[in-house]
Amino acid sequence: MSDIKIKSKNLNVYYGDKQALFDVNLDLNEKEVTALIGPSGCGKSTFIRCINRMNDVIDICKVEGNIEIDGIEINDKELDVVSLRERVGMVFQKPNPFPKSIYDNISYGPKIHGKGETKNELDEIVERSLKKAALWEEVKDRLDEPGTGLSGGQQQRLCIARAISVNPEVILMDEPCSALDPIATAKIEELIDELKKTYTIVIVTHSMAQAVRVSQKTGFFHLGKLIEVGLTEKIFKNPDNKMTQDYITGRFG
Amino acid sequence: MSNEHTVKSYEEELQFLIDSVIKMGSLTESQMVDSMDAVIKVDKDSIDKIIKSDEEINKFRSKIDTQIMTLLVKRAPMAIDLRETISSLKISQDLERIGDLSKSNAKKVKPLPLDLPEELLANLKRLGDLVIKQLNDVLDSYVNKNYNKAKEVWEKDEQVDDLTYIAMESVINFLSKDKKNLDFSTHLIFATKNLERAGDHITNIAETICFLIKGEYLKGNRPKGKVIQE
Repeated sequence: MSDIKIKSKNLNVYYGDKQALFDVNLDLNEKEVTALIGPSGCGKSTFIRCINRMNDVIDICKVEGNIEIDGIEINDKELDVVSLRERVGMVFQKPNPFPKSIYDNISYGPKIHGKGETKNELDEIVERSLKKAALWEEVKDRLDEPGTGLSGGQQQRLCIARAISVNPEVILMDEPCSALDPIATAKIEELIDELKKTYTIVIVTHSMAQAVRVSQKTGFFHLGKLIEVGLTEKIFKNPDNKMTQDYITGRFG
Repeated sequence: MSNEHTVKSYEEELQFLIDSVIKMGSLTESQMVDSMDAVIKVDKDSIDKIIKSDEEINKFRSKIDTQIMTLLVKRAPMAIDLRETISSLKISQDLERIGDLSKSNAKKVKPLPLDLPEELLANLKRLGDLVIKQLNDVLDSYVNKNYNKAKEVWEKDEQVDDLTYIAMESVINFLSKDKKNLDFSTHLIFATKNLERAGDHITNIAETICFLIKGEYLKGNRPKGKVIQE
């Protein structure tokens, strides 16, 4: 049994008058991949954005309830959000490298977090991060070229390398493969498998097959509520909840 | 299945698969009835027809295989749909084997004499009737997705074992009366054993249906009747 890394308790989120999450209680295990599935607008992205307080940047967004990482409440207003986001990295749907060189894309984070003092240290971080993101071999001879010049799949791996460059504990992935072709997707999925040895990963995906392939645990959201959570195998072979079954078998609506 | 799929053609493909299994099942059942009838009446004229019907059953099996492959590739079924698909594969395999056993029994009719002892035939018939009833019940539980009925079939195989034992005894009795009966008896022993094996395939189907409905396998060991020494 894995240890719990992230724990949400009675989490409620509102965008103005509209409630987006209702009493979500969800435990995420350390060094495991948890997949969140559900129709668009069901709250799964809202949920993961609570884990690194990305919702703070939305004025009308109000978060109530608790989220603990390693037992420490992160909704505490006193908490340093910058250091939280250093611990909880994020990868988005569309690859969004900085309009900078491949090298700078990776070294930017460590620099601002004071993690690489010297050029040598930064070189090492860049190489290590790119290797971990399975991109090193493809880009090692052109680190000074713009990150935006890479293919979509490479850009997404660059973003993953950027996320891990500051040595986080958790990586949030919001549909990281939705803009990628099957080969690039396969590479990211293989990477996720590798990364879970080091990091706790939460992935939002619309692909059931992807959820089955990459995750150990799956949570199904619907209309802001966590309907069912359990071992991925169980959820996709024999879910307990009829709504979960209807969704994963394509009988919704 | 309650709600329908958003994709109508998916719904139709799954239903088509289930229908194929049902049709294959009813074909297997009528073949078994014919085969049993041929044995009991020592009716040598119906052998060819029974062999022919086995070809039909085998064709169904390949058709179902193709349907399953297409479904897996096209739809990547999940949960109940996945279990439905996998169960079709397993059930059609068992049905095909049952068809083979009925065919094998029909072939055994050819060398049999027309004056077999009545008691022996009666014991064989009791066994055959029970196996046919079991097949009918298990197919019924598949059509109606009836868990309890499938489980009953599974449990009732014990009686098939018992009747097999009784039938075997009467064949051995027949053999011991006259050494000249050796040839006939060998055929009859195989025919009896085939019925018992068909019963085992029927319990496999019952297990598959229970898995299909509840998503978990039946727990514990199936009750067993008297065991025939092999």
